[in-house]
Amino acid sequence: MTVLAFGVDVGSTTCKTVAVDGTGRRIAHRVEPTDPRIEPQVERLLRSLREETGADGPVGATGYGRKRVPAGRALTEITCHARGAFAATRRGGVLVDMGGQDTKVIRIGPSGDVVDFAMNDKCAAGTGRFLEIILGRLRVPYEEVAGQVALATRSVPVSSTCTVFAESEVISLVAGGEPLEGILKGLHQALASRVAALARGTSGGGDLFMSGGVALNAAMVGALRDALGRPVQVLPDPQLVGAIGAALSVMPGAA
Amino acid sequence: MILRRAQYELAGRVVGPVLASLDGWRRRKRPPSGASRSSPFGPPLESVRKLKEIMTAHFFQARYADGAVPVAWVTSGFPVELLRPLGFHTVYPENHAAMCGVQRLVPGLSDAVEAQGYSRDLCSYARADLGSVITGRTPVGRLPRPDLLACCTNICQTVLYWYKALADHFRVPLVIVDTPYVYGKAEPHHVQYVRDQLEELVRVAERISGRRADPEALAEVARKAKEGTDLWAECLATGKTRPAPWTGIDGFFHMAPIVALRGTDVCNDYYRLLRDELRDRVARGIGGLREERHRLLWDNLPIWFAVREVATLLAERGFNFVCTSYTNAWAEAGARIDPRDLIASAADSYTHIILNQDLPNRLGILRRLSREYEVDGAVLHSDRSCKPYSIGQVDLKDRLASELGIRVLLLEADHSDPRAWSREQADNRLTAFMEGFA
Amino acid sequence: MSRNAYIARQREAHGRKAVAVLPIHHPKELLTALDLLAVEMWGPPGAPRGDGAGRIQAYVCSVVRNAMAFLCSGGADAVDGVLFPHTCDSIQGLATLVPDFGGWGKQAFTFLHPKGPERQSSRTYLDGELRSLARRLEAFTGRTLDAGRLAWAIRLHAEIDAARAGILDARSRLAAGDPELYALLRRGEWLWPEDHLAELRDFRKRFPDGAGRAGVPVLVSGYVPEPPSLLRTLNHAGAYVAADDFAAVGRRVVRTAPTAADPWEGLQQRYWAAPPCSTRSADPDARVNHLLGMLDRSGARGVILQVIKFCEPELFDVPLLRRAFAARGVPVLYLEGELEAELSGQTVTRIEAFVEMLAAGRAA
Repeated sequence: MTVLAFGVDVGSTTCKTVAVDGTGRRIAHRVEPTDPRIEPQVERLLRSLREETGADGPVGATGYGRKRVPAGRALTEITCHARGAFAATRRGGVLVDMGGQDTKVIRIGPSGDVVDFAMNDKCAAGTGRFLEIILGRLRVPYEEVAGQVALATRSVPVSSTCTVFAESEVISLVAGGEPLEGILKGLHQALASRVAALARGTSGGGDLFMSGGVALNAAMVGALRDALGRPVQVLPDPQLVGAIGAALSVMPGAA
Repeated sequence: MILRRAQYELAGRVVGPVLASLDGWRRRKRPPSGASRSSPFGPPLESVRKLKEIMTAHFFQARYADGAVPVAWVTSGFPVELLRPLGFHTVYPENHAAMCGVQRLVPGLSDAVEAQGYSRDLCSYARADLGSVITGRTPVGRLPRPDLLACCTNICQTVLYWYKALADHFRVPLVIVDTPYVYGKAEPHHVQYVRDQLEELVRVAERISGRRADPEALAEVARKAKEGTDLWAECLATGKTRPAPWTGIDGFFHMAPIVALRGTDVCNDYYRLLRDELRDRVARGIGGLREERHRLLWDNLPIWFAVREVATLLAERGFNFVCTSYTNAWAEAGARIDPRDLIASAADSYTHIILNQDLPNRLGILRRLSREYEVDGAVLHSDRSCKPYSIGQVDLKDRLASELGIRVLLLEADHSDPRAWSREQADNRLTAFMEGFA
Repeated sequence: MSRNAYIARQREAHGRKAVAVLPIHHPKELLTALDLLAVEMWGPPGAPRGDGAGRIQAYVCSVVRNAMAFLCSGGADAVDGVLFPHTCDSIQGLATLVPDFGGWGKQAFTFLHPKGPERQSSRTYLDGELRSLARRLEAFTGRTLDAGRLAWAIRLHAEIDAARAGILDARSRLAAGDPELYALLRRGEWLWPEDHLAELRDFRKRFPDGAGRAGVPVLVSGYVPEPPSLLRTLNHAGAYVAADDFAAVGRRVVRTAPTAADPWEGLQQRYWAAPPCSTRSADPDARVNHLLGMLDRSGARGVILQVIKFCEPELFDVPLLRRAFAARGVPVLYLEGELEAELSGQTVTRIEAFVEMLAAGRAA
């Protein structure tokens, strides 16, 4: 199997590395929590990928730590996510990427170009962090969330805009005897409505895709689908879309 | 056009009031809230039924206004006395936004304008209003399209930007009465500027309404506006007695006519009714609370979506807001109106409203109200959406507390967007504040 | 020479007093005519200095909170007075809070410029306000304003505007990077006008028209070109400012030469001829048309809208501007800041992503 390129996405929460072939198909990957000492971590992960695949190739980097990676090219997560998504879908649309600490909405044109984008990276309340903090407080393991939400007969609304306020509100709701599944459903809806507002800002319709670690949470995907009133397609390897896009950027012949 | 006009008059004089009183009759069949043994409030005011009738009729009539009479959307501090004799039906977007606030409709309306790119950090009244305009959603059935937009910057500069957005949407003339802020004393050229703008306003309004401003009619409206202002002041003044016959929160709802119907007989008749009822309660020792233990001043706009919650939380411990700088503003705005020279006196009066004068003046008003109403404490609502009212409150709090020896709380909230409010945190602060009183 | 040292030197060598001026619009010509050095206060950026900012709630913009802190902590002690224009509700409040409730013990002046369209009432009023300010400044400086001196000051500032306009219009042909260009232009915020004019002319000699600049041209509308890394990041990413509507720069360049014989009329002309600004007019079309014109003349392929968080006048204009640019098919990058001293990594990413997007558009 010929490996043509490596991609590195150094996010603020997790570091993702991939080895891809000419079509953007993932051959191997590594994901770890990001170490503050980025260079040694990336070096180690790339070496491990080279050993596994028995091949070598150019390196593309993205993510907040991209400038610290010795790479052939460093592009922003916006451009890389668009490329990674287009490689998977072969068509335009709107990509909603929900990571640990930020949320991005990218409008991708029919040829895979970035037409418009919006980001929420200043406030936890519109990101995966919102869920993480409150689930942590409620002592609900992340893996169990989707299952719990599916059991809810009704949603208990959580109205606070701010994560800290929402935390207080949720504690009151639990103390007041509201069903946990309903509260969890309400939390997902609250987050989905904020993400939907961000998505509506990048105008127009079209197919809706989702990537990022949060896309692995089926309850979130469902809530977003409900908030936007359209089907949401979760991309394969949702966490690796940015890294794949970075690898594609250094493929021979890439734009 | 004639048919439309007939519909408008019928709606205002007959159908509206009938519908409103039917509605009131329906409500009377249900036991009124606050009458139960466990409520901390005194018996509810009888006049409130009439208030609801008036406002319901007013908004019902509004649905038939466009196409029948000229319609003006105006700011609360606008010298509306100049428009009345020209037959304008006036709509107050702030008043409408307050209703949206009370009914917790603002988040939905705001979402609609935020989708267009308006920031959530903007005044929640503006967001509610623009949201209502774009979506067509309103709790009052339908608002008539304006033929004229009229804003006066005495309450804030934000109305300038807000009304610019309305002008962009409706594409109708926008008249601005720009009142330079008063630092110390208004200079002669400042007052002349306002007078000149009022003259310009009249000419524009005449053109749009197709009527000439008759000096007699203007003088008559001025007289009514002044009388209405004085009557409102008399209502407020009853709060000086112990116990106060009503709550400051009642005041927030009962001020609707002096804002939206100023210069009309309906307004004045209502305040006579209210005043008489309040004086009667004073004579019989009936209070707004069952047991008034502490008297407070409220500064800034109310927290519309939590008015009853806050009032109840305080009332349960015997705390009543006996005066507010906000309701008081409407007892002062029209006080200098002189029917013999409406333009000059309106220029003077509207330039000197509380929000258009400097902080020393503001402190003076708070100090005076606190003394006259013998308050034990004050709550300054730090309204996220209203910078002109909120800037300076940190200092005002300290000065009021030290000069008068009273306890003062600065309470962070918003006047109509509940998303900027944490119920638990506010309850905590208010409770801690109350616990500090002997 | 540092700014404070320059201010001291102006006093010692020329007997000139200095007045700090809050944003945005003020009659600089009047101050110049009375031999007053105007020192514009557009921040300072970064964290508020001292704890004076605590007297203003956190939902008020950083311009005002930082100015409050700066004044209260003695940061402006090098000057003799402060001038507050009637820019917005927050500056309006600052102008009574600091002089009346403590924090600034020296002289405070206000310039309450008219709001709304040019009308007979506002022209008469502006004349009155200009003369009133002049009287107050005369008392402050101990000098008398004479018409000849005022006419001279107007001509001087008109020349400065012409020189600034010349540089701004030629920038796509100048070899200077944006950081260097703006560093020069911003010195006009505190230099004695004649010194600033000399620097502008000198710059033009050093950077005559040359070959076209490489990179993607963008139009920037915003408050100030701060922090310096904003411009560096933009240039580094492969774009440059081809047209600017910064309140501190482009929005105050008056391009029409004064024609009135009477200098007071000349001041009026210059006031009304300044580019549209959300803090003065309420005409929804004026600013949009002005920016679209700039877009066309400069060939800019993208727009950066920079707004300070909580700035009401600018925030209300954002949807109108976005709509107009969208109708033209011009991408817009919206940056909301708090007058930080350094760009956050998030903002750097946004700028780079935007330029990547524009550059790819050209390549496609």
